[in-house]
Amino acid sequence: MPGRAWIYAVFLLSGFAALLYQVVWQRALYAIYGINIESVTMVVTAFMLGLGVGSLAGGAVSKDAKRPVLLYFSLVELGIGLFGIVSLSVFHAVGDVTLGMGAVPTFFVTFLLVLVPTMLMGSTLPLLVAHLVRENKNVGKSVGTLYFVNTLGSAFASAASVLFILGRAGQSGSVRLAALLNVTVSLLAYVAHRRATRPREIAETLAKAMAPDGDPSGPSLRRGPPAESSKAAENV
Amino acid sequence: MGFAVALAVAAVAGFIALSYEILWYRVISYASWGLPGAFGLLLAAYLFGLAIGSRVAGALCKDKTRAGDTKQLRALAIFTFVANVVAWLVVPAFGLSAKKYDWPPALAAVALAAALLGAILPTVAHFGIKPDDKAGANLSYVYLSNIVGSAAGSLVTGFVFLDLWSLQTIGAIIACVGMVLVAALVAMAEMPPSSRAAGLVALLGVSVVLVKATPSVYDRIWERLLYKESFDEASTRFLDVVETKSGVITVTQDGTVYGGGAYDGRVSTSIRWDRNGIFRAHALGAMHPAPKRVFMIGLATGAWAQVVAHLPHVEKLTVVEINPGYLTLISKYDEVKSLLSNPKVEIVVDDGRRWLNRHPEEKFDAVVMNTTWNWRGHSTNLLSVEFLELVRARLSPGGLFYFNTTSSDDAKMTASTVFPHALRVYNFMAVSDSPFSFDEDRWRATLTSMTIDGAPILPDDDDGRAYLEDLVRYADTVNEPPRDDGLERRESVLARADAAGARVITDDNMVTEWRQVLRFQPPP
Repeated sequence: MPGRAWIYAVFLLSGFAALLYQVVWQRALYAIYGINIESVTMVVTAFMLGLGVGSLAGGAVSKDAKRPVLLYFSLVELGIGLFGIVSLSVFHAVGDVTLGMGAVPTFFVTFLLVLVPTMLMGSTLPLLVAHLVRENKNVGKSVGTLYFVNTLGSAFASAASVLFILGRAGQSGSVRLAALLNVTVSLLAYVAHRRATRPREIAETLAKAMAPDGDPSGPSLRRGPPAESSKAAENV
Repeated sequence: MGFAVALAVAAVAGFIALSYEILWYRVISYASWGLPGAFGLLLAAYLFGLAIGSRVAGALCKDKTRAGDTKQLRALAIFTFVANVVAWLVVPAFGLSAKKYDWPPALAAVALAAALLGAILPTVAHFGIKPDDKAGANLSYVYLSNIVGSAAGSLVTGFVFLDLWSLQTIGAIIACVGMVLVAALVAMAEMPPSSRAAGLVALLGVSVVLVKATPSVYDRIWERLLYKESFDEASTRFLDVVETKSGVITVTQDGTVYGGGAYDGRVSTSIRWDRNGIFRAHALGAMHPAPKRVFMIGLATGAWAQVVAHLPHVEKLTVVEINPGYLTLISKYDEVKSLLSNPKVEIVVDDGRRWLNRHPEEKFDAVVMNTTWNWRGHSTNLLSVEFLELVRARLSPGGLFYFNTTSSDDAKMTASTVFPHALRVYNFMAVSDSPFSFDEDRWRATLTSMTIDGAPILPDDDDGRAYLEDLVRYADTVNEPPRDDGLERRESVLARADAAGARVITDDNMVTEWRQVLRFQPPP
């Protein structure tokens, strides 16, 4: 298993990037659709619904204990980063086409615009909760700690965005920074995933090599299930 | 049962937390004059509190506790109760803080309240979810429930409550919703029946006290935030307060209007007793030979629209105002209320930039904008190159764009860079694709022929005539060395703005909003 501190650090950065996107995307959407209360409410609600749907998706994926949730988390972060890089261009292009629409169609367009990235963002918490609960069997502690680091990252981003980032980097520079963070998080999560699965692969390779006539269930490891084998290899 | 309770509690807790956040957002917006840095720091304090709260609550969740054990509901009820009371006190904390230190210290109260509210989610997840392979999936439902509750809070409080009631009434309502949640938790918690009954009765008592105390605890919150150290318990009181979902408009006893806490002008159209620089509105008549169709962004007190609607040659004035509360305000003042029934005037409630974007077929001889302060949140939307290009596309041949830079060098430089012809009029910029000037004859004709609601704008007596000559001489200031309240040609504006380190404003760089992240306004 990768160290928990590693996971927490990764999720802190993830929260930082997410808030940075939120600040910039909301501003970009307000410039397109207006800053009257109706537009603001539509954009905020669309963000929340996207996060909620993403949470469901992340939860559904994490149900199966065999699924590599850290790998999924890594891919999700990569997806957010890729969308982030093109996000402002996409918003402006869609905004130009849909500007004349009424309130309800505008809401749906806004919702669809932010659906993909916010879904991906919303899925991250259940994925990592599933990962930690498999290890420590304490839901409150897992949710509390992960929510803590992720929200702390967002709090830092909120302060940093107004104190340093937006003034220096503007909207496009800020989303590029966020995308860079996503790619970094994706890589770190992938490393964590590899550290979690590598011992089992080594154990299986060892078992295969030691087995007579290529029988993978060789005598030395025959009694132990894969998880124990992986633990043994980790100890080595 | 435990899981269903967790879903319901997460939803209601989300509703309460987001509702309180909307109130705090409104309060800091007013206290800071809509400073974008203040919004960011409010969100940072809120998120920091949520983070700390969830961490502490998570650490308190015991490994051995069984999911669904109703003993946990007692702790949850206590958390929720304290969170609710502290959150209810945040608005008065802003009022208290304003007296001496402006709004920043109140962010500590925001963080504390958010910490207590943030403790609810992990606690309720620990109570309702078993630590098995489905933990991630079940957490997603609880999380979704929390988000749905938050979205409902945003919609109901931000969209409905703010339009129906004052801040203090909404504060009392949200506090009561919180107490209902606490009561439900007490009712379900494992405890002796007598303790439960005593707890519920005590909660009822506390709720009554909260409702009764709200008017005095929230008393004159807007006055406290605006007047700060000058607030006087005995005498400080606004003449008028209009609260709608679009914002808060307040009027001081001397008729000065503050929109969202920021100076918005005065209800005065008098050029003879000019208290609000209204001559700048009349000046449009000196720069355009016949502005028949005029578009205006921002109504505010209605003074500018009233003057522009009565300029010679004006046949149609379209005004877009984002906050309908100003219409209510204007209807109360004799000097401007005829604006609402003037057949030449059309008032639309919308976002100005969006309206222009959505009406490509409309063309105007002049677009006028008495813009709000250049450093306020989202002012970029009305000052950027992109917006100026949009206005250019809506101008008829020879059309003029005339707007308040609020003395921003960045705004002056942007205007003079985008348009080939420009003139500074005090802190306004007049720009066009066609040559134009501040014509002395047109200026005199405007001042002598103009009437508002049938009354000449200058009296026909010695005093009026002397004042007219003073005003007419203003046209000569273009030939004098630049001064802040005079006229200045484009080349000079560009050179001086450049020397001051000005930058062209774009939607992307939002220069004016981030030049100075924190700034504090003196009381009136």
